[in-house]
Amino acid sequence: MDALSRIKQLGMPRRNDELWTFFPVSRIPAPEFPDACACEEDFAEEKDFAALLPVAQNARALKRAIADGESEMALIKCNNDFGRTILDIGKQAKASIEILDNKIPHPVCAERFDVNVGEGADVEIFFANPANELPLAFRHFRITQAAGSSVRFSSIERGNGIARVSIDAFLNAPGAKFEIRTLNMLGGNSESHHRLHIYHNAPETTSVQLSRNLLDGSSRASYDGSVIVGNGCTKAFSSQLVNTILLSEDSSVSVKPVLKIYHDDVECTHGNTVGELDAEQMFYLVSRGIPKEVAKKMLMASFAKETFYPLPDSPAKKRLLQVLENG
Amino acid sequence: MLSIKNLKASIEDGTQILKGINLEVKPGEVHAIMGPNGSGKSTLSKVIMGHPAYHVDGGSVELDGKNLLDMEISERANSGLFISTQYPTEIPGVNNVEFLKMALNSKRAFLGQPEIGDDEFKKLIDEKMALLEMDERYRDRGVNDGYSGGEKKRNEILQMAILDPEVSFLDETDSGLDIDALRIVANGINHIMGPEKAVILVTHYQRLLDYVKPTYVHVLRHGKIILSGGPELALKLEEQGYDWIEEK
Repeated sequence: MDALSRIKQLGMPRRNDELWTFFPVSRIPAPEFPDACACEEDFAEEKDFAALLPVAQNARALKRAIADGESEMALIKCNNDFGRTILDIGKQAKASIEILDNKIPHPVCAERFDVNVGEGADVEIFFANPANELPLAFRHFRITQAAGSSVRFSSIERGNGIARVSIDAFLNAPGAKFEIRTLNMLGGNSESHHRLHIYHNAPETTSVQLSRNLLDGSSRASYDGSVIVGNGCTKAFSSQLVNTILLSEDSSVSVKPVLKIYHDDVECTHGNTVGELDAEQMFYLVSRGIPKEVAKKMLMASFAKETFYPLPDSPAKKRLLQVLENG
Repeated sequence: MLSIKNLKASIEDGTQILKGINLEVKPGEVHAIMGPNGSGKSTLSKVIMGHPAYHVDGGSVELDGKNLLDMEISERANSGLFISTQYPTEIPGVNNVEFLKMALNSKRAFLGQPEIGDDEFKKLIDEKMALLEMDERYRDRGVNDGYSGGEKKRNEILQMAILDPEVSFLDETDSGLDIDALRIVANGINHIMGPEKAVILVTHYQRLLDYVKPTYVHVLRHGKIILSGGPELALKLEEQGYDWIEEK
């Protein structure tokens, strides 16, 4: 079944669809679709509207391959309303991929990334967008990982509109590791929603999720993270942690951890904290003469930067911290 | 210099911790406050600095004639008050040196002085770190982040040295210090101390007072200063504890 047929079959997202529980689905305008789908891939199993949308809209696919053992840094610009990128990362290759923000204010934009990661490859994918004017933005990632591969996904969301990032990560062979670090710094009426499905399909696979939110004004964030550990996946490890600081009365966060574990010998954890800026840290800073507003900014910056400190020294870490340093 | 009169303060549930503290501190003086656990020693420094967990029920605290209790916390600090708490707060992600520079420049801005230049600040911090025999690790780490108890105390004295306050209230600065570190920290305090400044030390032990000689020793119990004396009082407390005061 092609993407167009599948998306018509699924219909528009609804709140009672568990993939869209926290998303303001009424804000998605009914799209106009082309007469025929140019892509012949089978999407019969795909359930996420956002994953299908760019393909159903016949977005031109950018295909890129990084050969075995090669090392490459890449920038991907997404300026069309609908875009698709297919990346094949070779065995033992190293790739640092920054996704640049869509600078054209389309009413709706949707991007899909298919990332196939070869054995032993090391990949970082990141975006640290400046605040943009996109009212509604979808980004979907489908990541498949071979044995011993490592993917680090890091992002900063500071948009003014509504953003949704959905990720399906498939850890298909032993030693595969997927790590995601997201930071939402939102104000006004902006919203940022993350929906993840991480499939541990092999023994000794690892996934680490850290999501941090600094929410001001009437902003909203959600994190809907599912980890599925398959039968026979001995020594699988998964952790999920969501930390939120609410800076205003009207900001809010929704968190839904889902663990589906079909094997005994695994370690899976999840945690969620919501609070305000630490009162003792605030007292310490102001008791050294630092004005309250400055101290507040220092603590917010500290909370934000901590999201990315554990990353290895790399272009992603440098860029993300630089963005936070420069405000 | 620092004048505390009939200071009363309570915590959120209404329990009164300070029940009428009176203390006069003049320039050049070192005051040691001793007392059993739970007597209100740590509360006193936090109340003077304006910690939000405490409510002032009455009394006054003046520094050079200005009522500290009417000031914002940062104003109290920039007016010349420094407190070091028993358990210094960790702030990961805020670089220790950048924090120190920010604090110093906040004070300079408050006093109408220009910001300190990079070279001048480096010279200042190099000098103070050498005084306290602190190694380079302190520069790159977050404020107190992952420090041992002794390292945190040393870092507190570094801040005191950089900010050069008029009155420093040091709460159990000697706890967590080994003998060498105690000597170094005490030397640091003595170096910073001068005829225009004053230090209030909260301690349980005589050993810090062997290095930093007190002008007066006070016993705080049940939220009040119940006895004051000279340095000999600390020696007597070390030998006999506190019960004899109650009996007396």
